[in-house]
Amino acid sequence: MVIMDTNAYDDMLKTAFPAIRANEPVCTKSSHFQVPKNLLPAITHYIHTQPNLRGKLTLLWACDHRPSRDTYGLYYLFTLEASHHWMVLSTELTNTDRLFPSITPHIHAAQWYEREIRDMFGLIPQGHPDLRRLVRHEHWPKGTHPLRKDFPWNCVLGRQQGTYHFPHIEGEGVFEVPVGPIHAGIIEPGHFRFSVAGEPIMHLELRHFWKHRGVEKLFEQQPLTDAVSLAERVSGDTTVGHSLAYCQAVEALLHLDVPRRAKYLRSLFLELERLYNHLGDIGAMCNDTAYALAHAHCGRMKEQIMQLNDRLTGSRFLRGVIQVGGVPRDIENAQLVKIVEELNRIQSDFSEVGAIIFANASLTDRLETTGVLNEQTAWDHAVIGIVGRASGMNCDLRRDRPFAAYDELPVNVALYRYGDVRARLRVRGDEIHESIRLIRDIRRKIPDGPIACQPGSLPNPGDWTLSAVEGWRGEILYAVTAGEGGQIHRCKVRDPSFVNWPAIQWAVLGNIIPDFPLINKSFNLSYAGNDL
Amino acid sequence: MLLTIALIAAQTTVLLAVSPFLVGLIRKVKARLQLRRGASLIQPYADLIKLFRKQPVISTTTSWIFTATPYIVFASILTAGLLVPTFISQTPMNFAGNIIVLVYLLALGTFFLMLAGLDAGSAFGGMGSSREAIVASLTEPAMILAIFAIALTNGSTNVSTIVHKTALMEDIVTDPSPHLMALAALFIVALAETGRVPVDNPATHLELTMIHEAMVLEYSGRYLALLEWAAGLKLAVFLSLIANVFAPWGIATTITPAAIGIGLLAYVVKTAALAAFIGVIECMFAKLRLFRVTDLLGVAFILALLGLLFFYTLRS
Repeated sequence: MVIMDTNAYDDMLKTAFPAIRANEPVCTKSSHFQVPKNLLPAITHYIHTQPNLRGKLTLLWACDHRPSRDTYGLYYLFTLEASHHWMVLSTELTNTDRLFPSITPHIHAAQWYEREIRDMFGLIPQGHPDLRRLVRHEHWPKGTHPLRKDFPWNCVLGRQQGTYHFPHIEGEGVFEVPVGPIHAGIIEPGHFRFSVAGEPIMHLELRHFWKHRGVEKLFEQQPLTDAVSLAERVSGDTTVGHSLAYCQAVEALLHLDVPRRAKYLRSLFLELERLYNHLGDIGAMCNDTAYALAHAHCGRMKEQIMQLNDRLTGSRFLRGVIQVGGVPRDIENAQLVKIVEELNRIQSDFSEVGAIIFANASLTDRLETTGVLNEQTAWDHAVIGIVGRASGMNCDLRRDRPFAAYDELPVNVALYRYGDVRARLRVRGDEIHESIRLIRDIRRKIPDGPIACQPGSLPNPGDWTLSAVEGWRGEILYAVTAGEGGQIHRCKVRDPSFVNWPAIQWAVLGNIIPDFPLINKSFNLSYAGNDL
Repeated sequence: MLLTIALIAAQTTVLLAVSPFLVGLIRKVKARLQLRRGASLIQPYADLIKLFRKQPVISTTTSWIFTATPYIVFASILTAGLLVPTFISQTPMNFAGNIIVLVYLLALGTFFLMLAGLDAGSAFGGMGSSREAIVASLTEPAMILAIFAIALTNGSTNVSTIVHKTALMEDIVTDPSPHLMALAALFIVALAETGRVPVDNPATHLELTMIHEAMVLEYSGRYLALLEWAAGLKLAVFLSLIANVFAPWGIATTITPAAIGIGLLAYVVKTAALAAFIGVIECMFAKLRLFRVTDLLGVAFILALLGLLFFYTLRS
């Protein structure tokens, strides 16, 4: 595979499909094409499979443009494998035309996106193999599509009856085990339906979206500069990831130049968030195998980082540490030295705990070969983040599309190929060391200077941009379109959980039921970030 | 006669009183090893009192089996406990049955617990019962063989006789290997039967991984209290068996106040030491994969069998 420059990609696509029109790119390292709707399956297939492109479907979203130009917009974002160049395809559906060709038959990763668009906008992906409702559960009245502009945000819906059809596996000794949405522990709501023959799992179907909060609709009620606190609450454990991704989008729309010091501090907070979540995850995975010793120690280290967060910012979950244009509070250099000292202590503790974890034979036996997500399945589902890197997907936005201060902070990406629970544990372990190393790097390189810039002029209505952040779970994407008077017209939020949830259904096949909680914990996906 | 009744009452009281303590002690040891303070040792007693005061909720889909099971389980395990010497070597109930009765009294409780797991019709109860059936069917032969290995050396299947003889150092064993093999086998069986790590995890909240907890998932109030207490009793029965068969030191061989006093003290110390050891094991190992449990219990079976073989080879 050859890494070519941007123009070469554009030329390739234009040569292959003369009917497409190149638009102004929405951000750096990207191209944007206006595509006729009937060409979508062919072009997406070409981008996805062409050996020099190998585009991975990264985001697919819709936008209701009817108030201004009487159309719906559909946007397809592909990341090219070698160069991590973004290719955006957009098409417009006229108001009377509610059909668009589904790309799911050849790009598996599109399947939830297209079902989501159908639920939220009432646009129908023709040829989609599974047109059951996804986000709108059956009790939502027919014809309610909340992200259409004529749907009032505060409307109270009636209830209707309906049934969701689970596929049934039939055969002697095959039975179904329904689990959730209410669980025995303190877990968010999700329904898992297993078809099992004895203990081995033959099929798993997820049913999520029990806690739809209308987040994307709520964004549309807010001015661009005010919605940071809403972004922070998309998924409570990824406060920094989401607020940073949102702020970067707004800053791009307002043409703000964030000061370098603020960028470094943002990287610092993002790494602190990664640290406490990874430590908690490793402990929780050990706890699911009843190896309580590692759980206790990881729990202690997670708590130390959260208390550090509290001392630095006044919030254990790092709320309110990022604002549009920079960061609200500075952290003095003397304090940074103290942080590094404390993290060094935690790192030496973690090295010891990690050595115990990886030396324990009984634990290793539980983790190895459990819940294998192979590389091909991971590629087909465009799996990202920790889960992807454990299955050989060499992707990390901190390296591939540097944001915040990562252009000056080179990241060593943890990569494993086995795709089992142990690989996912190892990725987390490596990333803990890497994060602490990065924070030391930040302490060394951080420049002095201002930490915020003044808000600039309002963006033109219809301007839009994309923003991506490598949160601790994986790629967080925001596609923000500006509306009239600095309002938000559309804000597409994509937590990595939305992409990785369907992959669990494949990772569990052939495993036994009592190993499911462990596999699920090794993915550790957000329900809130997924349900929106 | 009166003395026998008094001793039976005493042993019942000791078993009932000690069992929550052993459960609490394991939890405490685990907590301390994890650098936690841990719940107080009287917490299991407080839990039982709380549960006995609570109103039970019973699913309308259940039959009489569901309500009868806690009593059957509790009674069968308590009776089994009376066959095993605790603080006096010649347990007052020893006329009632030998080692085989003991094994099947425990199996009776397990059998009804499995039925009750199925009775409520929830998916988790059924999974728990099916897993318990695997575990129980593999522990039973291992346990019987282990006990036979010891019975042969002492020439009796009556637990009291075995303990009494060993305590008085009659029939001095020249080679301890059959005993050691049986001890290892019985310890593995005890871990499996009482639902401890690495076979089951009594502390988990994950319904899908449970064995014992899944079967009792539908119980509440006094029924749950009885089952929890019965689980504690089972632990006490196994620990008494291991402690007194393999290390009957200090046990009262005569019925005098001084001997009984020493016997009680020795009993509590020995079972507490075993419970603490279980606590340490629970911290050292992860739970096995469900299908690996059969390997572990296979090891127990082989160890017990080796114990038997050793006995015959050493004798000739």
